[in-house]
Amino acid sequence: MIEIKNLSKSFKSHKKEPGLKGSLKAVFHREEITKLALKSIDLSINKGEMIGLIGANGAGKTTLVKILAGIVHPTSGSATVLGHIPWERPNEYRRQMSLIMGQKNQVWWDLPALDSFLLLKEIYQIPKNQYQKNIDFLADTLMIKDQLKTQVRKLSLGERMKIELMAALLHNPQVIFLDEPTIGLDLSAQKAVRHFLLEYQKEFSPITILTSHYMEDIKELCPRVAIMKEGEIVFDGPLAEVQRMLGDEKVISVTTDVTTFKIHIPRENLASETQHLFQKHNVVDLNIQDPPIEEIIESLMKGGAP
Amino acid sequence: MSRYIRLYIHFLQFSFSKALEFRLDFFFKIIMDIVYYSVNILFFKVIYLHTPMLGGWTESQMMIFISTYILIDAISMTVFSSNMWWLPYHINRGDLDYHLIRPVSPLFFLSLKDFSANSFVNLLMAIFIFSYSLIHYSLPFHSLDVVLLCALVLNGALLYYCCQMLMILPVFWTQSARGFMDLFYSMGIAMERPDKIFTGWRRFVFTFIIPFSLIASFPAKLFIEKFNWPTFLHLISVSLLFWILMIFIWKKGIKAYSSASS
Repeated sequence: MIEIKNLSKSFKSHKKEPGLKGSLKAVFHREEITKLALKSIDLSINKGEMIGLIGANGAGKTTLVKILAGIVHPTSGSATVLGHIPWERPNEYRRQMSLIMGQKNQVWWDLPALDSFLLLKEIYQIPKNQYQKNIDFLADTLMIKDQLKTQVRKLSLGERMKIELMAALLHNPQVIFLDEPTIGLDLSAQKAVRHFLLEYQKEFSPITILTSHYMEDIKELCPRVAIMKEGEIVFDGPLAEVQRMLGDEKVISVTTDVTTFKIHIPRENLASETQHLFQKHNVVDLNIQDPPIEEIIESLMKGGAP
Repeated sequence: MSRYIRLYIHFLQFSFSKALEFRLDFFFKIIMDIVYYSVNILFFKVIYLHTPMLGGWTESQMMIFISTYILIDAISMTVFSSNMWWLPYHINRGDLDYHLIRPVSPLFFLSLKDFSANSFVNLLMAIFIFSYSLIHYSLPFHSLDVVLLCALVLNGALLYYCCQMLMILPVFWTQSARGFMDLFYSMGIAMERPDKIFTGWRRFVFTFIIPFSLIASFPAKLFIEKFNWPTFLHLISVSLLFWILMIFIWKKGIKAYSSASS
């Protein structure tokens, strides 16, 4: 269970004019800027749920994840994860939690992955048979068995991400925070990581929070999404419902004998609008679709409705 | 506790397998330290060519002091130095994230994970020099004196580590690249001189404020001159105080880190 109430976080920083002159000025007089990274967030997530957190850069996703992982202290509000207050960092909580950041690595680069895993086994006090079972399951599902004895720095980016995933999941965490786990990976590696995450969710049903910029990740993995904009959650619900956010729209792609074009129209006008099209143009092909989810989310993040 | 020992054994294994990969570096380090040790010993040898006593100490007594600080230096080079070198960068670049989420003390991890296998041979050499100067010591001594000296050597290494940390930890707030490390190293020479040469305010500074004299000079003094409680208690209480202060500031630093990182 994750329970978040009124959670806010602000960062303070100093404004400095460019150049040496600005630096000198800043020695004597500093203008402090307070940036609100999270504005009174409310969210609750149940066991076994996988929720996708999406938003533009700087929307507050990473800050939220870091607060829940216990790395960052919030400015106000409360949050409990599995009954613990994350930023108090009790060992009992840290043993059940895992964080994977696509942009930072946690395994030792100069050593084969198995060496790092042994260290993690010691850190998390994983019993021997459970350790072996987890290594087998994770390496099989990720199809990376042959690379475990190679120095990590000699592996490809995709293989390294798989190693990171293994490292993060060895201790069977109950809560998993995935911050852009597929960043920079090619399509087949992305696919493999997604497939693995689904398998893992099925097998162990942890609470998972996933942030990603790739809509494919969200579409395939997360039945539920939360969309963040400027530190607020502007939408929280099933992915399918996102579509209804911008009103019930349909997209008609039309090919006539001279050109092709797309129009967005309200669903209730569908019949009359299509008729109108057929009368006005020499239609060769016509296709009626729901607007693509990417487009809706993009417009939500840019500041359209709600 | 036994878990931390097992963790440390892992660190040792990692460092040795890493060190064996970079052999050139390995030999270079050994030569560098041999030069460092020789210069230190020769410095006093030359002085004793001209005088039988220096500050009341004979040459064999001075050798006890020299080998004590060489040993402490070797311990801190081997155990702490590369961790201390990287720590400010880790703090500055926000690399502490993964250390904060683990169910082990981040201070333990960050202070000890990089054992310098490269310096290990030098540690053996320092132990040899230390034993040599004990065996060739000109006056009789009790075996308990040796036990006490060894314990105080370990205390000295810890105190040196505390001082180093106290110079690094401001990085949490200043965001500067190296903290006050340069200041620390430029004063480090004070550790390599007997505390007798410091008088007046300097003595106060080096035995209380920046307690470099307590690291090697006080332990050697307790061995060479008669054991006395005031010196011993001074040494132990200041060491303890510095340890507590360091832990306190570390905790404050982690708090500052976690409210600033994004």
